[in-house]
Amino acid sequence: MNIVLKEHMGLELGSPERESVSCLLWTENLSSIADGRITLVGPDFPESMGDSLPFGKVVLAGVGGFSEDNAYDRHKEMDFLRYDLDLKGFMMRAVSQYMREWCRIGRDVLLQGFSAQVLGSALMCLFKGLPYVKAVEVIFFTSSTHDVSRIKEITAPAEKIIAAMNKMASEMDFECRSCAYQDVCDEADGLKGMRDRLMEKTKRALHG
Amino acid sequence: MADTKILAMCGKGGVGKTSVSALMVKLLSQRNDRKILAIDADPAVGLATALGITVKKTVDDIRKGLITRIQKGESLGNKETLKLLDYEVFDAIEERDGYALLAIGRPEDEGCFCKVNNLLRDIIGDLAGKFDIVLIDGEAGIEQINRRVMKKVDHLVLVSDTSAKGVCVAGTIALVANEKKAVDFYSMGLVLNRVRCQAEVDDIRGRTDLDIYGWIAEDESIRDFDFKGMSLTGIPDTSPALAVIAHVLTKMEVLP
Repeated sequence: MNIVLKEHMGLELGSPERESVSCLLWTENLSSIADGRITLVGPDFPESMGDSLPFGKVVLAGVGGFSEDNAYDRHKEMDFLRYDLDLKGFMMRAVSQYMREWCRIGRDVLLQGFSAQVLGSALMCLFKGLPYVKAVEVIFFTSSTHDVSRIKEITAPAEKIIAAMNKMASEMDFECRSCAYQDVCDEADGLKGMRDRLMEKTKRALHG
Repeated sequence: MADTKILAMCGKGGVGKTSVSALMVKLLSQRNDRKILAIDADPAVGLATALGITVKKTVDDIRKGLITRIQKGESLGNKETLKLLDYEVFDAIEERDGYALLAIGRPEDEGCFCKVNNLLRDIIGDLAGKFDIVLIDGEAGIEQINRRVMKKVDHLVLVSDTSAKGVCVAGTIALVANEKKAVDFYSMGLVLNRVRCQAEVDDIRGRTDLDIYGWIAEDESIRDFDFKGMSLTGIPDTSPALAVIAHVLTKMEVLP
């Protein structure tokens, strides 16, 4: 992955000292996604030269053909797409499980107009490369720590579901009564079905 | 990684490896045309101190943090773990004018977590590849550099004072590097520190096969900086020690 050091940096977004949130949400209801729309709440990157801003990013993906068998793998594939972004003068470090995303934009590319539109478009291109992604919308927040924190609160239930999927996929124990995510599975459609599929897969792997 | 030059300092404890490393960082960072990464692989974070930096997080802190999470039952996939460690390692970098510093911290001491250690070494290697010059201030031997930091270096710089023990340790390190292939390297040489006169250098030259890259005369100003705990980056540009370091770097083709 690229690096941008402070001495070459024009703008920092969501550094470990600032608030940041990055969230990927997907739905098969394509009508709820404004395909191709990039929204920025707050100042754009070029006009923030020299700043360190809080950062929020929400990617809304309209998808098709998801099932209990493939949803987890496809979610992971989409989540990891951001690491494939290879834009000159742009650095990104992220931690999925804490929803953090930290970006740096080099001074030179910022002067050349590296904007939220540029970043959002590059991200969309990657998503559109996946056959099951039908529509993508990206929303960036640079307005305030309060706004980014609020986005974190709003997206927290979705992240709980993802954390529950992560736990299912990484464990051999499918005992619901002792699982910290039981309440999440009780509420989110499809998670129990996904767990049943994983149990079957695990049993097949264990017993041949 | 192809264009990155990696220098590793080795030698007996107390011979001045860290001072030599700090002076190299000072010289290299003054040029401002290349990305410099200094890696402090000394558990006591001596290079950071010599550069006047208080380290907020070491690689060992990151390692311990991850192990604690795993022990608490946090589930992480391989790729998530890699990205988490990458984020944390970049956050641990101290950035200063002309260079960045990464402190490794204390060696592993709580059981075997080879996977975590290997991931960290891979991340450090990947990060180092984004810099033009990487300078590693190591522990006495090179095995730790191999195990904890990097499998391959370009220049192995053995540092010794004029004591028989210091030169002997440098010879042993060279032997381990050459014969046991403890680390891959392209060139290796000796920098003598705290030399009182040319005769000492001539005498050591007669006792070792090592290529002597340069020698630094006993320098009151360095001793004074050390004594007062001042950053060696503040050493005047006219310091004779700096001229020797410049010569050494030129010899290794790190400086023109």
